[in-house]
Amino acid sequence: MKTILITASMFTVFSFMKPDKLTGRWESQPSAKGTVTGVVFREDQSFDGYLNKKPFVTGTYSLEDSIFTMTDNGCNGATGTYKIIFFSNDDSLRLQPINDPCTERMKGTSRLVLGRVKSIPMADPEPYDFLHHNQ
Amino acid sequence: MKKYIAIAVVCLTITGIRASLAGNGPAGKAALGKLLFFDPILSKDRTISCASCHIPAFGFADTSIVSLGVRKQKGVRNTPAVMNTARQPFFFWDGRAKTLEEQALMPIENPVEMNLPVATAVKRLAQSKTYSAWFAKVFNGAPTPGRLAEAIAAFEQTLETSESAFDRWKFNDDSNAVSDAVKRGFVLFSKKGKCTQCHFGADFTQNQFRNIGLFNGRELNDSGRMVISGNPEDIGKFKTPGLRNIAITAPYMHNGMFNSLEEVIEFYNDPGKRVPNAINRDTVLLRPLGLTAVEKKDLEAFLLSLTDKQFLPVKKTSSDAHRRSSTR
Repeated sequence: MKTILITASMFTVFSFMKPDKLTGRWESQPSAKGTVTGVVFREDQSFDGYLNKKPFVTGTYSLEDSIFTMTDNGCNGATGTYKIIFFSNDDSLRLQPINDPCTERMKGTSRLVLGRVKSIPMADPEPYDFLHHNQ
Repeated sequence: MKKYIAIAVVCLTITGIRASLAGNGPAGKAALGKLLFFDPILSKDRTISCASCHIPAFGFADTSIVSLGVRKQKGVRNTPAVMNTARQPFFFWDGRAKTLEEQALMPIENPVEMNLPVATAVKRLAQSKTYSAWFAKVFNGAPTPGRLAEAIAAFEQTLETSESAFDRWKFNDDSNAVSDAVKRGFVLFSKKGKCTQCHFGADFTQNQFRNIGLFNGRELNDSGRMVISGNPEDIGKFKTPGLRNIAITAPYMHNGMFNSLEEVIEFYNDPGKRVPNAINRDTVLLRPLGLTAVEKKDLEAFLLSLTDKQFLPVKKTSSDAHRRSSTR
């Protein structure tokens, strides 16, 4: 019984963690002031948004057909629902609001046009442990 | 001692910059602004530069509760960092300046800071052969208040940082860049700690004015934003500062009353305990957070992870060690 439960839960986790059309990095063109907005969507359905390489929002999302739903750390846990429109061979996208009680987020998200970033910057391989460094 | 080292570094920086520019002059507005930022020529007695209080080694903030201006006069508020200000809509704790250019000129004229009328500052620059040549090169004209402000603001706009361990974790998608404590701290920051209610955004601020409960009309009597807006609802409100490089910009708050991040977290955990008679404290902070000792440490670890790599001690690499041993 225990084995069945573990297998079932593993199946659930792995089926949840499949890449979708969004998985990867997306960025806007620079604005008039030079600001580049970007998002990293991950297979585990988490995402991080950034402005000029500065992360500013983190959350989770789901994508079913063209319906994109997200919750992040900036809107008191409110969920936003958008229709996602892919274009240019699925290499660009924009979001059309369906329902989002967080008006600031809706304003920002509706304006965005994002293009898929083909290469991901290399991460610094060395971790830095701040807790131990300061002891 | 730290301060003397910082002053020595500033002096060496000015000398270094001037020497390197002697032939060609600054390449653009930001380079000219950098020279002006570090030059005491902009203070009445030529002893104080912008960098005297906005010390580069401390994230362009000061290590004192309040900075000392000309004739060692004390300021009235803690010096805010001038890093990561490019996207700010207001400047100073009370938001009295709406642009970086406006901000750049105010300390020059402030009697307890540099105490020099801007017109006199501009005259001094025009009388300096070097500066008049540099202004001519960069602006195609003589020094003016507008050009002085533009140059300093252009330099300040270059002071953006985005290479902290937190950035490596979130932007570079490198989950090994930070410890588990940092990751837990970030969750606390966003949820139980309610920090993102005010500190949300690329620089960890929504640039709003908030009263966190450090005004009681008695010993804590700086009414903050109200002096500028004239609105009694703004009493005790101050601009929410960004948190990038916060680990190196102590002391904290508009009055510099907290010496460490530990003290800051302790305050937010139960603001009424430290200042029980606060007036008009923000509703976000009405109830204690109830953080455990471990949670407080985790939050601190997260805040430390916001320090840009330029401020971290250089880590010795294995090739450095090899080089040392092979030269023995």
